[in-house]
Amino acid sequence: MPNMITCYKWVVDEADIRVEGNGALNFERAGRKISEYDRNAIEAAVQIQEQKGGSVVAVSLGGPELKSSAKDALSRGPERAILAIDPAFSGADSQTTALGLVAAIKAGAGEFDLILCGEGSGDLYAQQVGPRVAALLDIPCISFVNKIEVTESGIRADRKLEDGIEVVEAAFPVVVTVLPDLNKPRIPGLKQVMGAAKKEVKVLDAAALGLGSAELASRVETRAVRAPKSDRKQQKVGSVAELAQVIASALR
Amino acid sequence: MYHVNEFTFLTEDDLDREVPASTSFARFMLHSKPKEESTMTMFSLTEEQELIRNTAREFALQYCAPIAAEIDEEAKWPTESVAAMAELGLMGIPFPEKYGGAGSDYLSYAIAVEEISRVCSSTSVILSAHTSLATWPIYHFASEEVKMQYLPRMCSGELLGAFCLTEAGAGTDAAAQTTVAVEDGDAYLVTGSKVFITNGDHADVFIVFAMTDKSKGTKGITAFVVEKAWAGVSVGKHERKMGIRAAHTTEILFNNVRVPKTHMLGKVGEGFKVAMMTLDGGRIGIAAQALGIAQAALDESVKWAKERQQFGKPIAANQAIQFMIADMATQVQASRHLVYHAATLKDEGKPYSKEASMAKLFAAETAMQQSIKAVQIHGGLGYIKGTVAERLMRDAKITEIYEGTSEVQRMVIAANTLK
Repeated sequence: MPNMITCYKWVVDEADIRVEGNGALNFERAGRKISEYDRNAIEAAVQIQEQKGGSVVAVSLGGPELKSSAKDALSRGPERAILAIDPAFSGADSQTTALGLVAAIKAGAGEFDLILCGEGSGDLYAQQVGPRVAALLDIPCISFVNKIEVTESGIRADRKLEDGIEVVEAAFPVVVTVLPDLNKPRIPGLKQVMGAAKKEVKVLDAAALGLGSAELASRVETRAVRAPKSDRKQQKVGSVAELAQVIASALR
Repeated sequence: MYHVNEFTFLTEDDLDREVPASTSFARFMLHSKPKEESTMTMFSLTEEQELIRNTAREFALQYCAPIAAEIDEEAKWPTESVAAMAELGLMGIPFPEKYGGAGSDYLSYAIAVEEISRVCSSTSVILSAHTSLATWPIYHFASEEVKMQYLPRMCSGELLGAFCLTEAGAGTDAAAQTTVAVEDGDAYLVTGSKVFITNGDHADVFIVFAMTDKSKGTKGITAFVVEKAWAGVSVGKHERKMGIRAAHTTEILFNNVRVPKTHMLGKVGEGFKVAMMTLDGGRIGIAAQALGIAQAALDESVKWAKERQQFGKPIAANQAIQFMIADMATQVQASRHLVYHAATLKDEGKPYSKEASMAKLFAAETAMQQSIKAVQIHGGLGYIKGTVAERLMRDAKITEIYEGTSEVQRMVIAANTLK
């Protein structure tokens, strides 16, 4: 009966991002959603709970906009949520996020066996938060996981690596970061959606989590974010040799 | 505006391609989907309504999108999609939990119909007829006992509903009914035939209108709940339709069917009122369906106008196309406001008959006009069977006809405005 925590990020819905003429990204009309791979992490926890029992707590960190994520997260199965919400958490870097998540877990999640995170977030895909959470808690982290099996006292997981599958085991407590082919997240039903409002949501700000300016100071500077440019041209060529030449010069 | 094109170059296949984790920004952009026009409105939807939209959208993309063209071509009932709607709780959205419903509201239901219609209007009308025309009158007019007998199983999708008003000689003119109900002890014996019944062959429960006193005209009509399994009920001819082909439309025959008096909706002679009130709500469902079709016509047009290159540039660079898109976007948004407004009035318990008619009239005409434009923007391709644009155009037409034609909507609006 593992007690599980699933961490998720409330990311900008990329379908709503508009690209300006100069390549700048306009987020004005962008909604938010639970990062794709984090949905796989939540689904994994809920599936384990369905088979083995235990509990699932959803944990997230972000700016004030995070508040509206709770029902979405809870409609996917976790029985309660802990949200670290503070204006200072807007755009938090990986280390601040990990510090905040660990503080939130310690403050409200109780005893845990398994922490599930998406391998990376849908916006930055830095793949940092899961391993950092594990490091801060001083417990093992298994990354690139596309299969999880709960054993007597821990888990057995398949890691999908470039040159093959590595099967590893770890005793609880452990952090797992998951890939999207682990499962297919279920569509939340109407009863789950309507029931989410009745579940407990605990909100903690930076002060309540004991995070001061040292922890909150950003270690990463974002200079600019621009959309990649791809030109679409229709070019007619007379021969294969000419085609090869055109491709070669385009690649240069 | 063509800078948005970067998003459209990437296809679903690209998402499956292995991308080095280090190229995080490339991965970010790969996850970008082609932009669909915003569904944002002045209505501030609740978090639940937004989540219900997401659920309906995901359902439509996962279950309906892969089969929509095929079930249309083969007029094949979408068994798995209907089962999935039931599983997700979509079959009883606006009804209280006490009766097995989701405990949500009519606006959420309209949003769900809209989202499903963006992908498959056959599937959405199955839901709309079941919810608005069959489940709702039982919820509103039946005795508590009959409610408990049917609603939990209808909201769970175990039982499917249909609405039997129209006859060969009685469309809008309900008083011309020839189906009769003759009193016989504690029951009525119902005999007659109904045509154009949505869900006819798959429904388990029918709302049936019959004359209990022909001399009284519309005041002589009475409504009943009738089960298909009862002796004397049979399915007649299957119609071959222009659009919404996977939603089956059949004749339903009643031959001396014994219906207990407990299964009457309202009182004797109140059938016309039951029918009109039910259709008022039904119109919001059909208006939402038309809205979804119009939105899909816009989505398809935007996508194609940016992809299709002629004379070395996308056709969206031409003002002729841009103006079509602008008109489409404006009319779709206006339709959405009308539909959501009518649904909100219903949820607030305010009169909504006029607004429901306005929403249905405007959204249906928008769906028809915009789907014709979508075919035009697609050029020759839009005329080819199996493309989304041509299916939208065929599906759109029925929204101007069923549950009250556009002419009937104008009659309702005029009557409400001139009184």
